[in-house]
Amino acid sequence: MKLARLRVAALGLACVVGATTGPSAQPVAPIAIRNARLVPVSGPPIDAGTIVLANGLIRAVGARVDVPAEAVVIDGTGLTVYPGLFDAFTDLGLGAATTGAAGAATPRPAPRPIRGPQDRPATTPWVQAADEFRADDRRIETWRSGGITTVVTAPRGGVFPGQAAVINLSGERREDVIVRSAAAVPLVLTPPGAGNVFPGSLMGVYAYVRQVFLDTRHATDASRRYDANPRGKTRPEHDRSIQALQGALQAKTPFLVPASSSAQIDRVLTFGRELEIPVVVYGAHEGYAAAARLAKARVPVLVSAHWPEKARDGDPDADELLSVLELRDKAPRTPAALAEQKVPFAFYSDGLSGPSEYLANVRKAVKAGLAADTALRALTLDAAQLYGVQDRLGSLEAGKIANLVVVQGDLLGDKSTVRHVFVDGRRFEGTADATTGSGSGARPSGRGGPSTPPSSIGGAVSGGRR
Amino acid sequence: MTRRIPLLATLTVAVCTAWPAVAQNATAPVTAIRNATILTVTKGTIEKGTIVIRNGRIATVGANIDVPRGATEIDATGLYVMPGIIDAHSHIAVDGSVNELSLSVTAMVGIEDVLNPDDIDIYRGLAGGVTTANVLHGSGNAIGGKNAVIKLRWGKEARALLFEGALPGIKFALGENPKRASASPNAGAERRYPTTRMGVIDVIREAFVEARAYQGRWRGYDAAVKAGDRTAVAPARDLALEPLVEILEGKRLVHAHSYRADEILQLLRLAEEFKFKVATLQHVLEGYKVADEIAKHGAGGSTFSDWWGYKFEVVDAIPYNAALMTDRGVLVSINSDSAEEHRHLNQEAAKTMKYGGLSEEQALKLITLNPATQLGIDKRVGSIEVGKDADLVLYTAHPLSVYAIPQQVLIDGVVYFDRAKDLQARDTRAKAKQALKDKEKAGAAPARSTPTETTPKVETTPRVEGDR
Amino acid sequence: MNRSRLPLSCLTALTAVSLLAVCPPQAGAQGARTIAITGARINTVSGPVIENGTVVIADGRILSVGAGAPVPAGAEVIDGTGLEVTPGFFDAMSQVGLTEISAVNATNDITETGPYNPQIDAATAVHPATDHIPVARANGVTHAVAVPGLAAGGPGGANAPVIGGQASAFHLDGWTIEEMLINRSVGMVVNWPSLRTRVRDPQTFAFRSRPFREAKDEQAKQTRELARWITDARDYRAARSKGADRIDRNLKLEALAPYVAGERPWLLQATTERDIRDAVAFFVDTHKQKIVLVGADEAWKVAPLLAEKKVPVILGPTQALPGSDDDPYDATMAAPAVLHKAGVTFALSTYTSSDVRNLPYEIGTAVGFGLPREAAVRAITLTPAQLLGLDGSLGSIEPGKVANLVVTRGDPLEIRSTVTHVFVKGVPVSLESRHTQLYERYKNRPRPAAAGTK
Repeated sequence: MKLARLRVAALGLACVVGATTGPSAQPVAPIAIRNARLVPVSGPPIDAGTIVLANGLIRAVGARVDVPAEAVVIDGTGLTVYPGLFDAFTDLGLGAATTGAAGAATPRPAPRPIRGPQDRPATTPWVQAADEFRADDRRIETWRSGGITTVVTAPRGGVFPGQAAVINLSGERREDVIVRSAAAVPLVLTPPGAGNVFPGSLMGVYAYVRQVFLDTRHATDASRRYDANPRGKTRPEHDRSIQALQGALQAKTPFLVPASSSAQIDRVLTFGRELEIPVVVYGAHEGYAAAARLAKARVPVLVSAHWPEKARDGDPDADELLSVLELRDKAPRTPAALAEQKVPFAFYSDGLSGPSEYLANVRKAVKAGLAADTALRALTLDAAQLYGVQDRLGSLEAGKIANLVVVQGDLLGDKSTVRHVFVDGRRFEGTADATTGSGSGARPSGRGGPSTPPSSIGGAVSGGRR
Repeated sequence: MTRRIPLLATLTVAVCTAWPAVAQNATAPVTAIRNATILTVTKGTIEKGTIVIRNGRIATVGANIDVPRGATEIDATGLYVMPGIIDAHSHIAVDGSVNELSLSVTAMVGIEDVLNPDDIDIYRGLAGGVTTANVLHGSGNAIGGKNAVIKLRWGKEARALLFEGALPGIKFALGENPKRASASPNAGAERRYPTTRMGVIDVIREAFVEARAYQGRWRGYDAAVKAGDRTAVAPARDLALEPLVEILEGKRLVHAHSYRADEILQLLRLAEEFKFKVATLQHVLEGYKVADEIAKHGAGGSTFSDWWGYKFEVVDAIPYNAALMTDRGVLVSINSDSAEEHRHLNQEAAKTMKYGGLSEEQALKLITLNPATQLGIDKRVGSIEVGKDADLVLYTAHPLSVYAIPQQVLIDGVVYFDRAKDLQARDTRAKAKQALKDKEKAGAAPARSTPTETTPKVETTPRVEGDR
Repeated sequence: MNRSRLPLSCLTALTAVSLLAVCPPQAGAQGARTIAITGARINTVSGPVIENGTVVIADGRILSVGAGAPVPAGAEVIDGTGLEVTPGFFDAMSQVGLTEISAVNATNDITETGPYNPQIDAATAVHPATDHIPVARANGVTHAVAVPGLAAGGPGGANAPVIGGQASAFHLDGWTIEEMLINRSVGMVVNWPSLRTRVRDPQTFAFRSRPFREAKDEQAKQTRELARWITDARDYRAARSKGADRIDRNLKLEALAPYVAGERPWLLQATTERDIRDAVAFFVDTHKQKIVLVGADEAWKVAPLLAEKKVPVILGPTQALPGSDDDPYDATMAAPAVLHKAGVTFALSTYTSSDVRNLPYEIGTAVGFGLPREAAVRAITLTPAQLLGLDGSLGSIEPGKVANLVVTRGDPLEIRSTVTHVFVKGVPVSLESRHTQLYERYKNRPRPAAAGTK
């Protein structure tokens, strides 16, 4: 009987919480999660509190809050609410997984022979992730069901692949999910392709990029002069790449530059200083050896959570180098070392298969010395800060966007289950078991379907409970 | 390139396990090397001599000199001390390819941007007595990229390797390599210009014509500004042409890879046409045929001791090249162009005594003072003289003997290589490695499948980097 | 070392080389000569050093050697005061005569195509008039082995040789290979099928990592095939001996037969520690073959095993880079000393053609890193002869042996020493070469008239 009633209630809830298809995807009524442990990140945890979401935003959060009468109440007993997690650098919604087109890693083909830097090889900085993003990427569900609510997604391919966007994994319409477009400019300082096309070498890439920035600054100056008084002057060339970069420089958009070893990090820091551009280093597996220098340079880091690992089907007798062994051993210590030096950093998934692997790897960093709450910050508020959206995302604060992950257990503990995920106030189900990563690709509740066990709806629900 | 953990990492394991380096004399700025046979190179040999080093420089040298109290002493009884070897043609410590093969003129690229301080070949060269290296772009292009002169300060970061104040240089290349003689043409694809020696010289000439024009535009602008013209607009900067303008203005040294006598002459005449001097001809294996012309032009020759038989354009290579050119007044150095060869340049220098009868002092100069002069750093290094940098090698026997091996190598008065310490450290390293392997086995994290790397690597065209 | 390749047509290359070639110094005069070198320091190698000794050569052989050896009447006398006499150096793993200019493929006859070619021998292709012989000989190398089909380092392709052919020993003097030949077949080259986890796609030049299991399976397949060749060769010989007219002649199996029977050694190339272990286990333990380990860069890592199994080694140059960044910097220079201390019998060779003249300096380098000097001289004279069954007539200064000698002013291992005479088969050979001739010519180029050429 009780079960039947629960089922009825569940269906009722489903109707209320509602359809995810159709234009009005927001839940009709406010949602309140009561008596849950709240981890706001921006402040100390609250052991038994309530959070109210309405119209896609957090309306109230605290130990004692008023719950509107019309709110749908979720019993949060035994559950913990965190801000939704970030994957601070990915290609979700772009590339092969969605379009099935040529792999995300290959540079767009050059339509004409490259005679030098002036032909702007492997350079497409005008491409906006915000314009290309496709919400039907199957990977989105996988990541969201594990608690990742916001991603910074960037085009791939070439030296200047385009510009990244901060995106909430909340819906089908591109227009609805963009939090911030043109949020960062990847600057991939590695040879983009075969060695026989410029730039074919690492030093070629550096020389090319240097020239591009010179050209950008020169063009800014030249077009200003021309616009002020065009008479008698040769019209400046129209250069789409330069235009895009001018915009980025003016907006002080950070450039995301890969660097893994300590020497590479040094090189990138030197280059960034020379070019006078704001730089964010991504990768940074040997960051533990460069933390002080990063701090001095005031350069934030996106730490790849994809720690180096031994190849599975590799040669068991192969004598790996000491440096390789050491890196594998120490890389997970990098976040702790960065934290010690007060280097701002966030995590990104770097090709990991799904959220449980992502979190498991973050856990390794905690085991290696990173404080758990710093780890959580790096997954939430610090990530938001890196991209200038900390005023609207990244913590449980009234007025911020309602991105939450509701977990049974400790998110960074060994065993936890994601029960619900809220993105832009819309509710989605979590994975059955967050630790094994057997993501069932939870769908927003209301669709029903056999793949999601009914128990994932969480604690007993009934409309109107306060 | 393989990575190595730099010595400056503070973690204990790294300190124990990295190849020993930088036995800092931080607390004792005065060091004395005592009782050695000192081969000064410029001022003869001093038996049972002492060198006092202060703040990285040679303070005193002599047979009976006082050693300041508190000095760190290195007992060099039975050892020979000579100036650190200078390798005028090297490709060590480079991250990625040493060639930007895509274009025939790549003066905009530079080794300095991609120095890799973790390259084990730095350590290996150091252990062979090399203290300074002229790290060059490869020979794949008629006009290649800019060089970096470095000291082999193993353990320091990239910027700290640079030889402060060394004149900047650039690599040119003539002959088979820049004309891609060995590349098999893709059917139908247009081959990169040049494919003959005619085109190689043409590429260089055209580049200098462009450079002159560029220089002219900037001079016009500078003049206008000087004259008070506020509307003058600076020309757009072209990083490929600026190094060429520097060559025209005598501010950048040209190091030209070349083999055949005829192409050597072609380049010398071209340089004279544009009123600059070729600083060094590299390899220059037929230099002996046109030694007089080279001497008259004032170019130096940096050559191999005895390599031959590997390419058609070296068919007339002879080990007497260094001696013959020296005899005709060319300033000659012996180089390695190889991470293996630079480990025994002392032996290569000795070969010039055998092939052509150079004296002991002349032979030693080929790997010390002469390359220093060629690189414009002879005020700082290349001989053991008061005031020069304390870049020194302590050998177990006379360096021109096949039996001699370096015991210690100092740069700026700091011991960067110590064979005894190297031998001691081997056990520690092996243990540290085993400990990490055991730790990993115990942890036994699940590993993942090897991804198939489908991105073609640089080797789509046959490798010519560092090619001779 | 990187070598670039030049696709020059065969005809053009030969024409060009012959046009540029100065007359190569040819063989010394034939005919018996009696020569005595008196008052010299004699490194017999087989016995103690003889200070102030005399060596007498007659009919191409050493007639006598000793402190007071009598000088026959009518002998040509060379005053050996201040000179040293050493057995001529023997480069037992070289490419002399099989290549002229390595980048010009038309001049290369080193490696045939196809994985199993035991029937070919290097002597068939040795070019007696090669520039490389006078150059090597001028620095005291009097005889050498040309080795075919030794797989170069790096991932082999489908056609990389497994059995590369027979190595041939010859003197570095003679008008034809027939005059030079010592033994057409002194060793059978076999390249141990290495585990290849990284393979190169020949189309794209890209490297691809291969799963270990796949690489292991491929290796197992190749070693099974190798085992088949060994048993087939044995069976073939047995069958032919009983009924030759009823068994078709098979040149490959015929060539393998003496090696499989242990009459002569396999020249087994295995580079890494694991390869060496696996190769030794296969050839020695399983198939009871006689081997000499060659190209064994990591032999120093398994010295105790090699000593225990009595596997001799022909090391490559000491002047080579270590295989791994973690290897000690002096791994290759100290390798001879390591083997020596462990009791492994070893020789050292250059494995090249153009660098054969540096053989004494390659082994000399090892002395600085711990190899006793006597062992060094031995490694390039008597030991290689012993390993290839030629020590009955070569490798030391003893009566009856062939008179291959090098006479130097100074230590023969030292670069600064001068070679004064080289004897091959008892005849003093010309020390001229293409190099000395170009030297003489350009040394005599008239100097410019103007002063101040300095």
